[in-house]
Amino acid sequence: MSTLATVADRRTIVTAVCLREWRESLGNRLLVGMTIFPPLVILAAGIGAVATAAIYPPSEKDVQALYAASPAVVGLDPKDAVQGLIATYFLILFMLIPTVVPLTIAIYSVIGEKAARTLEPLLAAPVRVGELLLAKSLASAIPAVIVTWAAYVIYLVSVGLIGSGAAVRAVTAPRWILAIIVMVPLLTLLSVNLGILISTRVNDVRVAQQIGGLVVVPVVGLGIAQVTGRVVLNNESFIGTATFLILVDVVVFALARVAFQRENILSRWR
Amino acid sequence: MGVVLRTEGLTKRFEHTTAVEDLDLEVREGEVFGFLGPNGAGKTTTLRLLCALIAPTSGRAEVAGYRLGHDNERIRASVGILTEAPGLYERQSARDNLLFFAALFGLSPAIARAQTERYLRLMGLWDRRTEPVATFSRGMKQKMAIARAAIHEPRIIFLDEPTTGLDPDAARTVREFIAQIRGEGRTVFLCTHNLDDADRLCDRIAFFRRTVIRIDTPAQLRAELYGHETEFRLLPSPRAADLECVRSIRGVREAHLENGSIVVSSGDPLVANPAIVQALVGGGAQIAYVTERRASLEDVYLKVVEGIS
Repeated sequence: MSTLATVADRRTIVTAVCLREWRESLGNRLLVGMTIFPPLVILAAGIGAVATAAIYPPSEKDVQALYAASPAVVGLDPKDAVQGLIATYFLILFMLIPTVVPLTIAIYSVIGEKAARTLEPLLAAPVRVGELLLAKSLASAIPAVIVTWAAYVIYLVSVGLIGSGAAVRAVTAPRWILAIIVMVPLLTLLSVNLGILISTRVNDVRVAQQIGGLVVVPVVGLGIAQVTGRVVLNNESFIGTATFLILVDVVVFALARVAFQRENILSRWR
Repeated sequence: MGVVLRTEGLTKRFEHTTAVEDLDLEVREGEVFGFLGPNGAGKTTTLRLLCALIAPTSGRAEVAGYRLGHDNERIRASVGILTEAPGLYERQSARDNLLFFAALFGLSPAIARAQTERYLRLMGLWDRRTEPVATFSRGMKQKMAIARAAIHEPRIIFLDEPTTGLDPDAARTVREFIAQIRGEGRTVFLCTHNLDDADRLCDRIAFFRRTVIRIDTPAQLRAELYGHETEFRLLPSPRAADLECVRSIRGVREAHLENGSIVVSSGDPLVANPAIVQALVGGGAQIAYVTERRASLEDVYLKVVEGIS
């Protein structure tokens, strides 16, 4: 008596899990809202702020405060400088999207399965833990990266249409384009894998979100330091940061893989 | 019949408890093997061990020809398991649930579609294949979970309480399914508290509490523990002389009066019963009927499992 089953290849498993996760997420209005709402708010606020700055020039007092806060823009036309600064500030917020949006999806993809008691049948299939985690990680990361990139493109086009030369130069600066292309996926993976790692130890979605939310702190700090000119994101520091993120991503994924063991999940998750 | 599952000294200890201890077991290809024991006996842990979901602390096991701990993925590919909870993706349709698991078990899309249709029809769920599982009744979800466990045609299918909480119609569908699986030569490892199901379906039964207490066929267990009992209903009620007459017959182990009948336990009823009938009629008694008495599996269970405790 033979079985029809085989040990499926990694691509098949990852594709199947991703498609299932996406179908499941699309049916969950809360998750869809959590994915789309933050980028929409940041996008609308960013475009609105640049447009407002274009319509209402800053007062002399505002300009002095601006120069004091951000020495990098000293010497620019005040109206240009304000728009450039606002446009850059919102770019930093775009870097926050990949740390916030996929976290909820990643946490739900593990704790949600646990709550619905769907993990045991899944773990009973001939699937390796690494493959399962990779699939869950990609299923959470891909939508967040796509949403962030789409929001950035819309922002880019909008600032190009309504913003000053300084604002356009700020949003099209090569280091920011590179940051969006390279850093967004790396930050997304960090957030996702951290979410999965936390989910293996915590039973409550809210607790996992609270802990996972800490991932935004270094991003915010780095962004503020960059805008205020305390830290200059040049080529060297960009490569250094990207390398550091790759290493952290690999380490966090490895830790999640160690923590996400069949036995732990089945015998300790009650 | 070859052996499809064998364990030797299989033991599983958790921090403070020993769930399975020194388990020696052999299950044959194509049999329905009942695994009976009280709550907390370690049945679910044993199932998880045999499905390579958790690792044993010590001991060895070979499942579907693969060694536990060495070929775990092949073991998982060769077995199917119905877990305690159906664990279905509730927002997704019945069809999508099965197709997903078929993909994980490496079935090609065409075979996956064919198997999905086959099992949904078998479980009477084909007409509702596009509906989200959340709209299904408990019985329908249980049937879905069984279909999922069988979609890849496993050599051994482990069923943990498959008929618990089901209405009679759904329970019958599940029993028919088990009979069909057995008819195809597959092995069914059935964990159940439903002793009626076990009696009807199982070729052999293991009574289990951390380790196997007894294994045998239901009929053999009954005969060994209770002997063969026959009830002789007399008209009018039996007299003391009738009882003495029966007791004096060769081969009769024990006889007593019970609600207007004489209940006789004998080593071989085919030899003893004709002699009893002859003696009673010869003594002037009128026999209304003669009935074979079968001890229920529940009696056997209680005697074995509760006897140990």
